[in-house]
Amino acid sequence: MLTLAKLIQSLVKALHSEGTPGQVAAGIALGSFLGLTPLVTLHNAVVFGLIVILNVSFPAAMLGWVLFVPVGFLLDPVFDAIGRRLLLDTPALTPLWTSLYNTPVVPLTSFNNSIVLGSLVFSLVAFLPLFFGGRWAVARYRATLGERVRQSKWYRAVTASKLYNVYRLFRPE
Amino acid sequence: MSVRVFRWRAVGPLLVFAALGMVAWVLFGDRIARRSAEKIGTAIVGAKVEIKSLHLSLADGDVTIRGLTVASPHEALENLLEADELVADVDVLPLLEKKVVIDRLAANGLRFGTPRQTDGRTAGRSDGIAARVMTEAQAWSRQFQVPALQLATGKIDVGTLDPRNLSAIPAAEALTARTDSSRRAWQAGLDSLQLGPAVDSAAATLARLRTARATDLAALASARRAIDQLKRARDRVAALERRVTGGLASLRAGAAGLDSAKQRDYAVAKGLLKLPALDAPEIGAALFAPTAVRKFERALYWARLGRHYMPPGLLPRADAGPPRARGRGTTVRFPREHALPGFLLRTAELSFRLDGTAPQAKHYTGRLTGLTSDPALYGRPTLFEASAPAVAAGAMLDHVRATPRDTAGASLQGVRLPAIALPSLPLRLEPREGTVQLGFALRGDTIRARWAVRSSRVRWERDSGATGTPVSDVVWRVVSGISDLSVDAGVTGTIARPRLVVRSNLDEAIAARLRAMLGDEVATAERRLRAEVDRQVDPKVAPARAKVAALQTEVTARLAEQRARLDQAQKDLEARLRELTRIRVP
Repeated sequence: MLTLAKLIQSLVKALHSEGTPGQVAAGIALGSFLGLTPLVTLHNAVVFGLIVILNVSFPAAMLGWVLFVPVGFLLDPVFDAIGRRLLLDTPALTPLWTSLYNTPVVPLTSFNNSIVLGSLVFSLVAFLPLFFGGRWAVARYRATLGERVRQSKWYRAVTASKLYNVYRLFRPE
Repeated sequence: MSVRVFRWRAVGPLLVFAALGMVAWVLFGDRIARRSAEKIGTAIVGAKVEIKSLHLSLADGDVTIRGLTVASPHEALENLLEADELVADVDVLPLLEKKVVIDRLAANGLRFGTPRQTDGRTAGRSDGIAARVMTEAQAWSRQFQVPALQLATGKIDVGTLDPRNLSAIPAAEALTARTDSSRRAWQAGLDSLQLGPAVDSAAATLARLRTARATDLAALASARRAIDQLKRARDRVAALERRVTGGLASLRAGAAGLDSAKQRDYAVAKGLLKLPALDAPEIGAALFAPTAVRKFERALYWARLGRHYMPPGLLPRADAGPPRARGRGTTVRFPREHALPGFLLRTAELSFRLDGTAPQAKHYTGRLTGLTSDPALYGRPTLFEASAPAVAAGAMLDHVRATPRDTAGASLQGVRLPAIALPSLPLRLEPREGTVQLGFALRGDTIRARWAVRSSRVRWERDSGATGTPVSDVVWRVVSGISDLSVDAGVTGTIARPRLVVRSNLDEAIAARLRAMLGDEVATAERRLRAEVDRQVDPKVAPARAKVAALQTEVTARLAEQRARLDQAQKDLEARLRELTRIRVP
């Protein structure tokens, strides 16, 4: 229940943040990396750093993360197949993997795991469609439903919570 | 409206976040490393690995482990080893490549085979490599047909002998069929010889010659043609004779094979009735083979596990990924020539105790070098050696080349030997102090292993709660007075087809005693068995043999007759020709 509430809160904050639709969409697209790929990996630390440093919507990134976690679980067999195809069934790539595997720091990303590599490749491919699709959807929302939601009671309740103060620290400038 | 790309004011919180991460690592790094080490060790060994404390000092490259316990993957309440302290000198830079290179490891206070409170085995409960290797090793050990030392009690029921289990009956039926088929083939061969025209032509020519003169050249030429015709006919007979001779030899061999099949049937019947083995080697196998096979199975388990984690060659290697909430996937390693292996322990100095229960525990030292996950990269085999007065142990895992070679040997003198349970008998053998030797060599798939135990102070213990059977009584009476023990077990052959031989000084003693006590009963049972086998087999075997004999007589006679006709016709013609062409002096 709490997770659901937080999800709704994230959704509302993201959609009504001061950020442009592009910032919100970029946040969602970056957050999707956290959800689609196994969480405890080096590349996700980099993605998290980018979410914080880049002027994208932080709530949108959290929303993207939460939304794409179940998608990641569901698509694990697909990621595994992609990863296996790239790691094992494409001999032309073997020299590249061998070189990366023996390069400092790179193995810490666990790129040589089929699910990590498959999900990372999938996330990279899905990044631009997510960004452009998200930007369009947020713009449409704000132009149609946004103002009515902003005037509602429960919106005010959501934005009045303590978490909102934390959010303000990371809101887009 | 222009949007700035960076959110600089978030750098502060990010740095704070990173600092918190560092603090968390300082606070919990050791715990995380300990849990990881336990998890990885457990997955590798196939049994629980527990660590009391682990201290990681990345700055100095030191790792100190205290209170290491590795449960046995084979015994429920036994540890494989315990170690008081392990201090490792780790190269830090390879860690950036996710590679662990330990320059030197000092392991102190190693003890083997210590008892534990809980079952530490995990191989049976997981689907990992260790579980698979364990299953393979267990399947391998089940190949050995260890005879049971037991007596058939009560009335021996020969009615249970199923004719379908007797090999002589189908062999006799097959021989009969082959005989019939050969008869038809040879009959056809005899018919196709067509000797009649040749013999008739020779007879007609002979009749002409009788009235011919020496100057009748046409008659002489006709006679020579008839002789040639006879010779060709005889060649055909000879060819058929050769086929028949070969065929008859094969049929005779088949008939002789019926005897072997019958002998096998006797053995099958004997096995069905569970008659006690009275041959000395079988008694040795019945008593000690299970223990010996368990030793060999364990050695094979470790060797196969070593081969999995230390494979030869430099090709990419795929394994299941790490366990996590998400799917494990497949983790592929890409070793490269001249690069560091994924894991390398250059040198380990081991200090261990054997016979921890002894009042004055003896301390030994050993040395392990070149333990690596990529032997082809390291280029040298893994070596282990330990020597001390009365102890010699060594092992070499050579996975550098395509065909891996694993050898290990140990000889321990004057140490307390574990008790040996004798299967199907309520007896326990306590070898007490003695000598034990274990040799194991696995080259590719060829195995050669040996386990030997010598003791001159054995003690026998009888399970007071168990009901004594005739055999156990006999064995008890025989062995309870024996204080010397010498057991020698060996396995040779390939993994797929191993051969087990077990000998002991008890074999002949027990066999002689059993023969004396049970010989009459067993002999009677065996006679009845043989009679039953004969009753079922002979009605099929005797006609088959008779058919072979009859066919041989018949075909041989017919061929001889045909050959005689040809010979006689040729002889007559040649005699007449000689008469006509003889030069007569007026």
